[in-house]
Amino acid sequence: MRLARGGLAHTAAVVMLAVLAGPAAPRADVPVETVGRVEALPQPPGDHWVWISDVMLRRSALLDVDRGAFLGMVSAGFLSPTLFSSQTGSELYLPETYYSRGSRGERTDVVTVYDAATIAPVGEIVIPPKRAVNVLPNGNAAVEDGGRYLAVLNMTPATSLSIVDLATRTFVTEVATPGCSLVYAAGPSRFLSLCADGSFLTVTVAEGGATRVERGPVFFDPQADPVTEKAVRYGDRWLFVSFGGVVHPLDVSGETPAPGETWSLLDEADRSASWRIGGRQHLAVHQSTGRLYSLVHQGGIDTHKDAGTDLWVYDLESRKRVQRIELLHPGFSFLHMSFEFSGGWAWLADWLLDVAIPNPGIESILVTQDDEPVLVTGTQIGGSLAVYDALSGEFLRRVSTGNMMVFSLQPFAPNVGAR
Amino acid sequence: MLLDRWFAESARRMARRTSRRSFLTRLGAILVGGSTLPLLPIERARAQDEPGARAPAPGEPDPDTPVGDPQSCEYWRYCAIDGFLSSCCGGTHTSCPPGTEMSAITWIGTCRNPVDGVDYIISYNDCCGKDICGRCFCQRNEGDRPIYYTHKSNDINWCMGQVGVIYNSTVAIVIGVATES
Repeated sequence: MRLARGGLAHTAAVVMLAVLAGPAAPRADVPVETVGRVEALPQPPGDHWVWISDVMLRRSALLDVDRGAFLGMVSAGFLSPTLFSSQTGSELYLPETYYSRGSRGERTDVVTVYDAATIAPVGEIVIPPKRAVNVLPNGNAAVEDGGRYLAVLNMTPATSLSIVDLATRTFVTEVATPGCSLVYAAGPSRFLSLCADGSFLTVTVAEGGATRVERGPVFFDPQADPVTEKAVRYGDRWLFVSFGGVVHPLDVSGETPAPGETWSLLDEADRSASWRIGGRQHLAVHQSTGRLYSLVHQGGIDTHKDAGTDLWVYDLESRKRVQRIELLHPGFSFLHMSFEFSGGWAWLADWLLDVAIPNPGIESILVTQDDEPVLVTGTQIGGSLAVYDALSGEFLRRVSTGNMMVFSLQPFAPNVGAR
Repeated sequence: MLLDRWFAESARRMARRTSRRSFLTRLGAILVGGSTLPLLPIERARAQDEPGARAPAPGEPDPDTPVGDPQSCEYWRYCAIDGFLSSCCGGTHTSCPPGTEMSAITWIGTCRNPVDGVDYIISYNDCCGKDICGRCFCQRNEGDRPIYYTHKSNDINWCMGQVGVIYNSTVAIVIGVATES
């Protein structure tokens, strides 16, 4: 169909050119071109391709942060920033909320299926119009470790999970999770939610859509030192980190998830200097080297969402801090225009951002999973990113995304090689 | 062009200073629970909708002519707010902007009125059904908890269950006097 259309357009263009040129056409060096071509993404996908979501523009932009190249984007519904992928990376899935009249009318919630090569929508699965709509970058949906089922958190404010079969592209069932919310992958066909009493709930999906719900033990104190929603996965372990910087591991490889020994990201000296964890996406893990990245800042209580000024890196085996990276201004943009200069003046913008313009701090971080990983950092007050070598911590470059904000960062195919 | 960009950043810096952080921090965001005083369940707002449903708080001539500046993030009632102030968006601190709808469910905070030193229970209802106002972003994370602790989370969009989950702005309504429990 595409070829036929292209051929038709080509013929029409040639005819039009002939008419315009008349009988005494001068010699032209530029060959006639085809109308109607649309790019697909280069193949294979790059290790340093990153989605940058913007809930104001309701989109996620895809950039190659090595080249600073804008590769494409997906449009999204209201507060619908988080993408998932099939395990092979051939499809992408985006849980979304729409109204028939934009900001009013009938509400429809869908999981939109994208072809990962063309990033064009190729299908959608309608789910109950109850999707949890909040400002979290994660925990609102998850693909279980078998790759077949996607669970979407509902909050009305009663909580439940909508289970979607990605293989058949159908909504399977809704499972009530009273007193518990959020959703994480927890082994094949199993999901995990956190509960208000500090315990967890598992939801296991069987063939045919039957579900089994089980309550786990209390593994953190939600009153004294709650864990943030922004947990990261390290192999089979989820690492939940508390406001006070304590890591609460939860191993999901066994018959039932098993809480592990806790340890602290902050020592006494850090605490007395008021260092705290914080940010919207304040954690990242590089799987093969076992490095945990944690955004930190100096502040008082209730600053668990404050932007980070520094990034502390830990070795997950020794549980020792091995590196401190001071974070630079990621750059800013206003109505899509980036603060940057062209030609020989590019250094001036970098210099101003490094030394003269107050650094707003970093809310979101991402570390790629390849052997030469990069660390990507962003802030919600602008659409620019600062990119570092994730092993040495060396600053590499700033990248303009065209976004008005950096709401969250995700790898291109989030469910490929993520653990 | 450079100057334009410079001024834009200066304005942003000022906005950050006045609201402690940038203006877009928690878009759908709302309400923080009062930190110590009574752990009330999620409150239903309908009973508060009627004009004159409550007496003025002490120190206020009437509910709509308060002491202090309801367009300022520092205004006493906003001690636990997270969102755009309705009073900057065509509404007041107790009423939503024209054409929006007030959320029926919300979270409650406890704020001290400096005029009489009394702690009041404040209902932070969202104004829903139109896109974000964008003016007077005001956020304090005091007492905020993760969303599994639903009734104390300010990351939740309380427009859920309304005409629509589209969030516009937030009001701060006195619904009672807090007493030590």
